[in-house]
Amino acid sequence: MKYLTEYRDPVVAKALLARIKSSASRRWVLMEVCGGQTHTIVKQGLDELLEDAVEMIHGPGCPVCVTPLEQIDKALHIAARPDVIFTSFGDMLRVPGSDCDLLQVRARGGQVRIVYSPLDAVELARKNPDRQVVFFAVGFETTAPANAMAVWRARQLGVHNFSVLVSHVTVPPAMCAMLDAPDNRVQGFLAAGHVCTIMGWTEYEPIAAKYRVPIVVTGFEPLDILEGIWLAVAQLESGRHEVENQYVRAVRRDGTVPARNLVEEVFQLVDRKWRGIGEIPRSGLGLRAEYADFDAEIRFGLTDFTQEESGECRAGDVLRGQLKPFQCPAFGTRCTPEHPLGAPMVSSEGACAAYYNYGRFRQAHVATGTTP
Amino acid sequence: MTTTPITQGLVCPVPLSDTERVLLGHGSGGKLSAALLRDRFLPHLANPALAALGDAALVAVQGHELAVSTDTFVVSPIEFPGGNIGSLAVHGTLNDLAMMGAEPVCLSAGFILEEGLPFDVLDRVVAAMGAAARAVGVPVVTGDTKVVERGKADRMFINTTGLGLRRAGGGPAPDRARPGDRVLVSGPIGRHGMAIMAEREGIGFESRIESDSAALWPLVQPLLERLGPDLHVLRDPTRGGVASALNEIAAASRVGVTLEEGVIPVPTAVAAACEMLGLDPLYVANEGIFAAFVTAERAEEALGLLRSHPLGSEAAIIGQVTNDHPGFVILRTGLGGTRVVDLLPGDQLPRIC
Amino acid sequence: MCLGIPGRVVDIRDDQGLAMGTVDFGGIRREVCLAYVAGDIRPDDYVVVHVGFAISKVDEVEARRTFEVLREMSQLEELEWMREVADRSLDPLGGPAA
Repeated sequence: MKYLTEYRDPVVAKALLARIKSSASRRWVLMEVCGGQTHTIVKQGLDELLEDAVEMIHGPGCPVCVTPLEQIDKALHIAARPDVIFTSFGDMLRVPGSDCDLLQVRARGGQVRIVYSPLDAVELARKNPDRQVVFFAVGFETTAPANAMAVWRARQLGVHNFSVLVSHVTVPPAMCAMLDAPDNRVQGFLAAGHVCTIMGWTEYEPIAAKYRVPIVVTGFEPLDILEGIWLAVAQLESGRHEVENQYVRAVRRDGTVPARNLVEEVFQLVDRKWRGIGEIPRSGLGLRAEYADFDAEIRFGLTDFTQEESGECRAGDVLRGQLKPFQCPAFGTRCTPEHPLGAPMVSSEGACAAYYNYGRFRQAHVATGTTP
Repeated sequence: MTTTPITQGLVCPVPLSDTERVLLGHGSGGKLSAALLRDRFLPHLANPALAALGDAALVAVQGHELAVSTDTFVVSPIEFPGGNIGSLAVHGTLNDLAMMGAEPVCLSAGFILEEGLPFDVLDRVVAAMGAAARAVGVPVVTGDTKVVERGKADRMFINTTGLGLRRAGGGPAPDRARPGDRVLVSGPIGRHGMAIMAEREGIGFESRIESDSAALWPLVQPLLERLGPDLHVLRDPTRGGVASALNEIAAASRVGVTLEEGVIPVPTAVAAACEMLGLDPLYVANEGIFAAFVTAERAEEALGLLRSHPLGSEAAIIGQVTNDHPGFVILRTGLGGTRVVDLLPGDQLPRIC
Repeated sequence: MCLGIPGRVVDIRDDQGLAMGTVDFGGIRREVCLAYVAGDIRPDDYVVVHVGFAISKVDEVEARRTFEVLREMSQLEELEWMREVADRSLDPLGGPAA
């Protein structure tokens, strides 16, 4: 596939790996804040191949993983109603709430359907006028324009049995939260390529300057990740801390302006809880008052519903890069993809699931001191 | 890595979610399916023939080895590019017999029809079933029909049971893989699952992908005859895909399997559809290919034999069996990295990340 | 948040006031909302698609240029490696070859 598979070229990848290793004078610590990048890194064994040149910490880049317990519980509540068809992206279906997950709600008789695009949910609402169709609008800034358009389109077509349960989060506040933490070890970032496709990279310039960390806007294929790492290491080696764009084929400095405009019209910045991390002020998106009639929380009377996450959560430590998944005492024992304790194990993008599905075998060797 | 469960100071916000009901994931061919079988069925039904958990059961009857296999088909939509539930119901069960090295003898077919199903749809399904059975000379000798109220069956469900005869002296079995064996697939992967996915409401996309649904005995028979006992395992990777099938064999034979990513045949359209939805072709269902484990010495010969047949023209050697990492399937990527190809808990879900 | 893949725009049309189109991904085709890139694109252009929306046009010139840079670099790496190997074979023990 054009503009995709060329970025998996093993010859170029090996060359990039060699360059990274030969240019690193010490072991640098980088963080990627993007589930898709985590997926590529673990799936391709890149962290293994980088060895002593770079340590990759997997940040809270999976919107599925960081969706707060509160919002999952609201989703479960709504999905269980007989008058509702609850629609969602596939990866949300197995995230555990306080009591169960959406798949179990379906088993108990709830109507829960996977859609690929939020517009499919609007279409479903149009075709089922006697039902309430609710769409679980989660994601980072990449998905906000799509979710905004669904709301806008529903209003434009007069589809009033449609509403959205919003749980959007934004990346820059999370990066700052990482950097503000007293035990922060991260020295440079790979910024999420598709978030920046929408938003551009101007928001990262003050962060790079204030915290003196290089931030490289990076794509998702192995060559993108390796090139992004190489650029970050080059900056660290020369004492620079700038925002650089590796993902030039898709990202421009101002992003995609029409998308940003519609997001601005439909959504506003709100405080948002991040599962396992806690509340980060002005780190989320919620519907503006002008679109309140499409807000599922209002429509189903859930605006006052709150849910606290009990106790200290190791998922948070993993998401903040303080703990590798296999260091969590529950990893692979009490917490597995079949019986997940927290979202990072459920979502196929979550660091824990990635480690479990792709890397468990390696870690077993690390633990026993044998070679794979 | 600790193995004792943490009982105090539970550190994650969510309690263990033990399911008290059947989930869709229990039907996906992954870990949940295995657990369902192990925990809810085997305790009540245990017997040696069942315990072998092969694609078909082998029952000795007065000096002959009878192979029996049953399968229920609940695919939706019931008509899809490359076939329908009728042809699928014939191919699927015949293939389970073939995977045990049994020559198919006859089939039964039980139908559960939903009230309101149009006759022209039923006609197309049964016509396809008849054509598929005649094409391999295996008669449907008995059957049953039930009708249930609207809403109680997704248009129609079909169960087929197949009987076959296996030559005395053993045959391929899931526990016969040995270190050094080569792993072959008889054709490209992922077609059936993605052909179905293309028709799903809410996902729908236009594609040229057709289900690979086909009866495999015509390809298996010459392989069995030529290779004899050097053909160790046969398995058709249906639900759960190649990944699940190889994991089951690795577990049953207590061996490790290594695969080379670059040589696994994936049609371009399947790869593209998987990219779009974030799916891995290794977990996508197939209905017209099989994996074969053969001794290293006979691997090239087996490959040549498969490729000389229209159904096997794109066969490939995709990996081998090892003493290392028993029970694990490891994939070597083009970049030189490795990763574990594990059983998924349930269905593979399209993702946005 | 991230799963976006490049595809080729086949056609562009108006669906009740919303720019929609068919995008081809290596032979698979899907309806995609083109509203966010409508001003910028023509049929045969490539776009990055996330959850059924085109979120940006692929800059094919930039893509080609930077890929060539990477490929050249990898060829240089190979040459350097070959030179290293050649040097080592002349001087295996750090002294003049016997």
